[in-house]
Amino acid sequence: MKETAVKEMTLADLPVGSTATIVKILPEMRGRKKFADVGLVVGSELLIEAHAPLGGLIRVKILETSMALHKDDAANIIIEKAPEK
Amino acid sequence: MKQTFRVLLAGNPNCGKTSIFNALTGTRQHVGNYPGVTVESKSGRFSIGEREIELIDLPGVYSLSSSSPEEEIVFKEVTAPRIDLIINVIDSTIPQRSLYLTTQLAELHIPMLLTFNMSDDARKKGMKYNIPKLEKYFGSPIVQTVASQYGGIQTLLNRLNETLSSLEDHGVPMLSYGADIDDAINAVAEKIDSLNVEKFRHVPSRFFAIKLLEHDTAAMRIEEFKSAAPVVEEQIKHLWDKHAINADTFMADRRYAMLAGACRDTISMTQERRREISDKIDLVLTNRFLGLPIFLLIMYAAFWFTFTCSEPLMEWIEILFGCLKEGIGAVWSPDKLPFFRSMVIDGIISGVGGVIVFLPNILFLFFAIAILEDSGYMSRAAFIMDGIMRTFGLQGRSFVPLVLGFGCTVPAIMATRTIESDRDRAVTIMVLPLMSCSARLPIYALLIPAFFPKYQAPVMFLIYIVGILAALTAARVMKSTLFKGDGEVYLMELPPYRMPTLKSLCLHMWDRSKMYLHKAGTVILAASILLYICNTFPEKKPEQFRKDYAAEIANLQKANTLDAEKLAAAVRLPGLTTEQITQIIETKKLSADQLKEIDRNKLSALQQKLVQSAEKYNIAVAELENARKAELMEWTISGRVGRFLEPFMRPIGFDWYVTTATIAALAAKEVFVSQLGILYSQGETDENSQNLRNILIKTYTPLQAFCMMLFCLLSIPCLATLAIIRRELNSWKMAIIEGVAMFSVAYIAAFIVYQAGTLLNIGTKLLS
Repeated sequence: MKETAVKEMTLADLPVGSTATIVKILPEMRGRKKFADVGLVVGSELLIEAHAPLGGLIRVKILETSMALHKDDAANIIIEKAPEK
Repeated sequence: MKQTFRVLLAGNPNCGKTSIFNALTGTRQHVGNYPGVTVESKSGRFSIGEREIELIDLPGVYSLSSSSPEEEIVFKEVTAPRIDLIINVIDSTIPQRSLYLTTQLAELHIPMLLTFNMSDDARKKGMKYNIPKLEKYFGSPIVQTVASQYGGIQTLLNRLNETLSSLEDHGVPMLSYGADIDDAINAVAEKIDSLNVEKFRHVPSRFFAIKLLEHDTAAMRIEEFKSAAPVVEEQIKHLWDKHAINADTFMADRRYAMLAGACRDTISMTQERRREISDKIDLVLTNRFLGLPIFLLIMYAAFWFTFTCSEPLMEWIEILFGCLKEGIGAVWSPDKLPFFRSMVIDGIISGVGGVIVFLPNILFLFFAIAILEDSGYMSRAAFIMDGIMRTFGLQGRSFVPLVLGFGCTVPAIMATRTIESDRDRAVTIMVLPLMSCSARLPIYALLIPAFFPKYQAPVMFLIYIVGILAALTAARVMKSTLFKGDGEVYLMELPPYRMPTLKSLCLHMWDRSKMYLHKAGTVILAASILLYICNTFPEKKPEQFRKDYAAEIANLQKANTLDAEKLAAAVRLPGLTTEQITQIIETKKLSADQLKEIDRNKLSALQQKLVQSAEKYNIAVAELENARKAELMEWTISGRVGRFLEPFMRPIGFDWYVTTATIAALAAKEVFVSQLGILYSQGETDENSQNLRNILIKTYTPLQAFCMMLFCLLSIPCLATLAIIRRELNSWKMAIIEGVAMFSVAYIAAFIVYQAGTLLNIGTKLLS
């Protein structure tokens, strides 16, 4: 119902348990290719599985695999959140 | 004639590649290191009929992008000449991800055999594969396996045999990046063809064209292709201008799109995707609040397992070495080559035995680690600990090696191989020797009860805390100086939990233990011999002694020989056995052992006098003998070196005895205790030796004792540590820096403590 499309949401902002689709990867992101190789490419669907205790790691399920990455890097991945069921 | 084939085994991390490798090669494996990097290289041999196969296990990678040392190695290996076949292992439960590597391998036009592993798990997940269709798509035969249970291995061998017999007519994969990109690829490929590079004639130019368009670092570094750069840049610019395509990630994009299509056509999901057991376990184990306590509990359990299981084995080994000493001593008579006899018995067997004793610890520790590693828990632990470790400039994967450092620094440094980032790994290795290893424990166990009888636990705790704080501070400092700058991108897979197989656990355990045994057989062996020589030579000649000890002892003895009257009283002493009484009659004196047995409450006046004078005599003789041994010791190489360095070590409270012991401890820290014992002529001593403690209390102050412990804690644990640092970091420079830095820190710290303590008069008297 809410109009949130104005502000771009990044992977770092997503709450645990939500799914989303990657819409854009910012060009300033480090190691773009490394992330692309594991499937973090535009159009991929992902699920936020967990946040690490006391730290900046995010656990994301992408292509059936769990990957841990840093919030700083995740902030460069623009996503579109799937509607809640 | 046997025909030999070179076969590469490639696949993602955690796809079961190692299980396939173990199943195919069995024990005919060779584990080594790729030169210049810390990536393990593994190869093995086996034969099918007349065909001999050399199987090379490549490191697990997601891609051929050379964005990690592993990927660079795989890139180098697959573009090397004379490869007959690639066996590509695919995790059947995640085909899209696993086949991503396959699309790139296929571009090499080397015959491939695809092995869809973990096919039972895929079936359980409700996935159905259309194998013939997939075979056509990739132009390669496909085998389905469950390698962890040897499922499908025979089929794999049969298909391998078939494929090797008809290598010429392998199929061609149907891979296309789309018209726009294919034009660019063709343009670059044409340029590469025109360069006509002899070295890479066996690799299709299309493969390099794609890599160059992706700005792959390994491909761009190849000297022969440098002149193709303008064409590449032109094509990249063209793609960007005309189609707004970013070439470096677009290839990845297209590959995933191709695979999505291929999988849609060939794999059907009959069941709804259900939340897997693995995810359920993780809800608890990596829970935000429960994760940390559970992790600590698991670590504790691992250590408990290690020490409980290894304790009886260690006792057996000790007994075994004891028997060995006695056996050799009995067979080898003392008059035949006496020097070599005592070198073997007191030098080599004691020295090497002292290290082998810790082997059960190493075995069980690495068994426990292998369970954590193979089950997939280790990456969870890294995930949980990352936040805390990062505040100190380390990362999650540094934690376990650091804890292992409390055991022994050498295997702990070997355990840092799980840290992917080179910088984080280097920092972890460099600070690891500061964690107080168990070889330092005998030093504390000797000194603390002697000098701090009332504060044993707090002092011990303080020492360990100093070590941990020093390690974390050093890590912080190094990260902001020596290893400054942005680290590598952090990306870590958390594989699903799996039941580890016994075979792989044992192989893992054996790999590590072999290295430890190697250390015992080389460094420690050499050090034992060297120390023995240094502690024995040069021998002081009788006329060089300050006193004629033999004459003085003989005089004492003469004065103390029991006359008839005293002898009559002595044989009636209460508490002696008949054997001892015969001895007394023979020797005409009371020995220390006999005095111990006497029941002091029932003595006559004469007997009391007798016992007292015998005790006095025994002490006097022992003193003379000790003084003689001390003079001998001072004369040896060890003593001379210690005396020479004494002025330099004085400011930190060390005399030449301690200095010598510290140098000897370079072989292994626990040698400090035995060397101090030898220097103070207490013969063989361990940390429980009360005699040695009594001498130490008389000689040193608690402040000096504390400085000894501090110095031992902060200086390099042993030469083996330096050797392993050199090997793991592949740099003599780093090992030397480490040794010098640790010595300086230890010296400065001990200097400050000793000088401040002396000035403020703290710890100069025994607290009791």
